[in-house]
Amino acid sequence: MTELYQALAQGLLIGSTYGLLALGMGLVYGVSGVVNFSHGDFISLGMFMCLGLYSALSLDPYVSVIITVPVMTAIGALVYLFLIRPMVGHQFLMVVQLTLGLSLVLQNGILMVFGGQPARTPSIVESKLWILGDVVLRVPHVIAFVISFALAIGLYVMLRSTDFGRSIRAVHQNAHAAALMGIDVGRVQVLTFALGIGILALAAALLLPGTPIQPTQGLRYTVITLLVVVLGGMTNFVGIMLGGLIIGIAEAFGTIYLDGAIGLLMPYIIFVAIMLFRPQGLTWRSSK
Amino acid sequence: MKQEFYDTLSSPILWGVLLLAALLPFALSSYYLHIVTLALVYVALASSWNIVGGMAGQVSLAHSLFIGIGAMLSSALLLKLGINMWLGLVISAVISGVLGAMIAWIDFRFQLGHLSFVLITLAFAEMGAIVVEGWEFLGGASGMLLPKDTGDFLAFQFGGGSGSFWVMLTLAAVCVLVNVAILNAPLGFYLRTIRDNEKAAQAIGVNVLRYKITAMVISAVLASVVGTAYVRYLTFADPYLLISPVITIEIVLFATVGGLGRAYGPALGALLLVPLGEVLRGKLGSALPGLHYFIYGVVVIAVILATPRGLLPLFERQWERWRRS
Repeated sequence: MTELYQALAQGLLIGSTYGLLALGMGLVYGVSGVVNFSHGDFISLGMFMCLGLYSALSLDPYVSVIITVPVMTAIGALVYLFLIRPMVGHQFLMVVQLTLGLSLVLQNGILMVFGGQPARTPSIVESKLWILGDVVLRVPHVIAFVISFALAIGLYVMLRSTDFGRSIRAVHQNAHAAALMGIDVGRVQVLTFALGIGILALAAALLLPGTPIQPTQGLRYTVITLLVVVLGGMTNFVGIMLGGLIIGIAEAFGTIYLDGAIGLLMPYIIFVAIMLFRPQGLTWRSSK
Repeated sequence: MKQEFYDTLSSPILWGVLLLAALLPFALSSYYLHIVTLALVYVALASSWNIVGGMAGQVSLAHSLFIGIGAMLSSALLLKLGINMWLGLVISAVISGVLGAMIAWIDFRFQLGHLSFVLITLAFAEMGAIVVEGWEFLGGASGMLLPKDTGDFLAFQFGGGSGSFWVMLTLAAVCVLVNVAILNAPLGFYLRTIRDNEKAAQAIGVNVLRYKITAMVISAVLASVVGTAYVRYLTFADPYLLISPVITIEIVLFATVGGLGRAYGPALGALLLVPLGEVLRGKLGSALPGLHYFIYGVVVIAVILATPRGLLPLFERQWERWRRS
């Protein structure tokens, strides 16, 4: 039983951050129909920026976000303005290929700057543990859980009750009508993309303590994010957070109960199964 | 089959180019010969991917599975069970074909959209990589070293250097010609109607399932065969190269840069980008690892932004303009 609780707790904690990663992608998809295949490489970028700040100024990752979030948000805005916006209106698949190209650029840009050796960024809370009865929790995971949920709730409130949030929802529901109501659709799309990348900078810092990082990891994060977004029905806010928890728990169960490869396969098997047999969550099926 | 295909087959330009290319080993140093051989591997792979990704418009990211099966399984069969690599090539190709048919069937049965197809095939590719890295029989994470290439043809050895070059040239030519053949056969027309509007294609009586499966099986078998030849050329069955989704992404990008859905587009993309990347890696690789992939990425982004249909249509337009003036 202890193992079960342990797996559940660990899965929930990590899953909340997965949910946060996916919220950014879901927002962007909802507003501009773009699926960013370089998502995971932006997470890498955030992590390596924290590493760089640690090596240069010995900043703790949790402090580095003060710098990484604005920088990544700005990068996100530039990427959307100069790379993705010119492609909107072209075939959907060209954006996929463009972001795949961007993924190569980011991944290997990081490799050129930091080298290919796995690296760690120390943090003061890295090895601290929190023991609740039989369950041992790592403090960085608890911090990630709390901040992820706080941010998710903040985003939810923002979408519900601010003008910017309402304009995001309006563009998501019907971009044409939103434009007719005087909403600057282009501006909303840029800001949403920038916001999505900015969230990644935060999520990167949350995932970083205790995790070895290397430049080639981006694609795996992209895949995990895609799994979560798809499980959550692409644009459904609550669904995405739930999807994050499911993937987190699947991963934790897989690594604890099943050994080796099959454990790692668990999230993918669940993803394929849900995608094929429970497609009613996939509200985006008719779009191309 | 339209007349164009026979015209291409009997065209002196084709055979002239092939003959000139076949003479390259006598003109190039072994370093440049290696680069051209690699370029031909990717010409073959990008062309085989084009059948599904370009003509049928289904961006499959599962091709690393077929390449990986062709490379890792045939190596494992040889090293662990002593099965001749020719037989291994056939076994791998059959398994890849069956797997391809299954993926196409899933796509049809569950009516996946374009995006879901990309995602599901990416999930399959990741699963394949995890399985190979965790399964000792297929070499695990450390890979397998094949016996030295002594040029024994019956053991699927071509002696490296010029012998391997000719094999790759043949494979690349076959893959490109299969593209030409399909584009000029009814299959090619069906695939393009499916790409442009699947529902309309079905409505006018195109058997979507049958042609999707046919395209995927042809593509998978070609990719698998090229995978086997590639691993024999490399002599080292490296899972991080041969069954990593990154190899598919490279192929997709070559095809996109050259021109999707065109017979010679993917070949053009690979012939331009692979030598560029390899030369850069040779010159700067030790100082800046990753630079050649970085440049690939930049070139791909630039080409997609400048000419979303790829370089081939651009060249054709220039050629037309130049001929008229």
